[in-house]
Amino acid sequence: MLSLSVNGESHSVDVPPDMPLLWVLRDVIGLTGTKFGCGIAQCGACTVHLDGQPVRSCVLAVGSIGSKAVTTIEAIGDTPSGQKIQQAWLDADVVQCGYCQSGQIMSATALLKRSPNPTDAEIDAAMSGNICRCATYVRIRAAIKQAATGKPEGMQTIVTAPEGAAS
Amino acid sequence: MKRFLGIVVALLIVGVAAYFWLNRTDASEGTAPVIVGAPAAADVLARGEYLTKAADCTACHTVPGSGKHFAGGVAFRLPFGTIYSSNITADADTGIGSWSDDDFVRAVREGIRKDGKRLYPAFPYTSYTQLSRPDVLAIKAYLSSLPKISQSTRPNDLGFPFNQRWAMGFWNAAFFKSQRFVADPSKSPQWNSGQYLATALGHCAECHTPRDVGFGLERRNELAGETLQGWRAYNITSDTAHGIGAWSDSDIASYLATGHADGRGSASGPMGEVVENSLQYLKPEDTAALVVYLRSVPAREGSDPISIDAHAAPVLASTDTAPGGDRTDANSAGLKLFEGACASCHQWNGKGQQTPYASLLGSRGVNDVSGTNVTQVILQGSKMRIDEHDVFMPAFAKAYSDTEVSTLANYVIAHFGNKVETVTPDVVAKRRQL
Repeated sequence: MLSLSVNGESHSVDVPPDMPLLWVLRDVIGLTGTKFGCGIAQCGACTVHLDGQPVRSCVLAVGSIGSKAVTTIEAIGDTPSGQKIQQAWLDADVVQCGYCQSGQIMSATALLKRSPNPTDAEIDAAMSGNICRCATYVRIRAAIKQAATGKPEGMQTIVTAPEGAAS
Repeated sequence: MKRFLGIVVALLIVGVAAYFWLNRTDASEGTAPVIVGAPAAADVLARGEYLTKAADCTACHTVPGSGKHFAGGVAFRLPFGTIYSSNITADADTGIGSWSDDDFVRAVREGIRKDGKRLYPAFPYTSYTQLSRPDVLAIKAYLSSLPKISQSTRPNDLGFPFNQRWAMGFWNAAFFKSQRFVADPSKSPQWNSGQYLATALGHCAECHTPRDVGFGLERRNELAGETLQGWRAYNITSDTAHGIGAWSDSDIASYLATGHADGRGSASGPMGEVVENSLQYLKPEDTAALVVYLRSVPAREGSDPISIDAHAAPVLASTDTAPGGDRTDANSAGLKLFEGACASCHQWNGKGQQTPYASLLGSRGVNDVSGTNVTQVILQGSKMRIDEHDVFMPAFAKAYSDTEVSTLANYVIAHFGNKVETVTPDVVAKRRQL
């Protein structure tokens, strides 16, 4: 039996110590918000926080976690940075298909927490390990900036009709 | 004319005499020092299993992932062709089931198989010649206790003259000496155990000692480092700058037992296999003996020596999450590749997130300007099972072009080793073939 702290709750799980954390989260504890993407730490979809640090849960053996606190997408909105990021994500309408987004939000939240006003270079460095097949990268960058400053970024606005068009 | 013939005959006699003199067999049974994991009083199968692991028989005689233990078929791509390892299960037709004890002992210690033909020194009889007869027979007993597998040994793919097994008699005359281990009474029992583990069983020298033009081991350069099958086997002499002289005892023991030592690096490639198949199973006392022996190996610089920068400036200027301190002419393409594929596990300061095996600072790989092992790890990834844990890095050979791999390798060497790197796309293309 291993004892795990996930989203502030303690869980006792009967799993082999080399089982990746992602399996434990999804299949044993039942938190399915964290997604399986590539299984080899290359896409970022499975990102969760370990004591606030973004880690790839698909290659993290659960036996190596010890008493560190695991935070997943289900609870990231309870943190100030996570709350800002999620609101900005909604405002900017970042999500397309959504599969990679829990990982994107976890990486973005970790970035905002350590760097409250990140530069473009910092955003690129922090987010480049998270791949999005729908190419939402431009909106992700804008949303992170909005979360940092609180001001809407020059994002796409929905135009109902071209200016000057006959109505 | 008669006189000329006389000289020819005399030379022939001298030559034949020299051939047989140099190929003479050490007739002694041989004795082994104390090996804690294989005490003389223990059950022969338990001894055999431990010794089989210590001699790492499986690395060459089991195709990884095949599940066919000791059935052979592993390919060795050498400069003169490809050699396939043989089936050493107890199957009577395709393995060694019909071999007598004497047949087996002769093959292991003299490099001559049951039918009298010579083995190639890809099989390290050059090291195993030191083993004691009881140890060799314990290994045979253990192999005989395992499931028999019927699998014919694949013929070697060697051109003339390398396909002439009899010619190995001349190679042996020049480079091989049949000689059992003899304890050095001037050294401690622990040192003697370590020497037996390192030379007779572990055959470290077969990879770590440079080879001369005749492919013989350069004894005067023992363990000074060599490159083979595309990987560098590093200098493991007591040289403090280029070998492992500056490592603590616990650094060396940790590397041997787990494949990783903090601030020194992690094993991968062929050394990863050695740790996985063999070294992790050694009893701590035997590992400690090995450390004592390695410490005593005279310091040598070796060729293409590697100097470690344990405080590489770019690494010190970086954080877990952000790069810093790279040269102003640093290749930004390499940085981008590292950012996307590597940083989330290795981190910009090389500390390694999730697992200490991913730490890079201070390792020989990132300090080797030729980038040999860095290139191989990028291409092939790394996979090693230690105890109950998998140590894993994905392979990028199919994901990245030669240019991308060389760019990334060069960034890694510049950033983590603080060195001027030399990897070119052509070199990567060649290393892909190995």
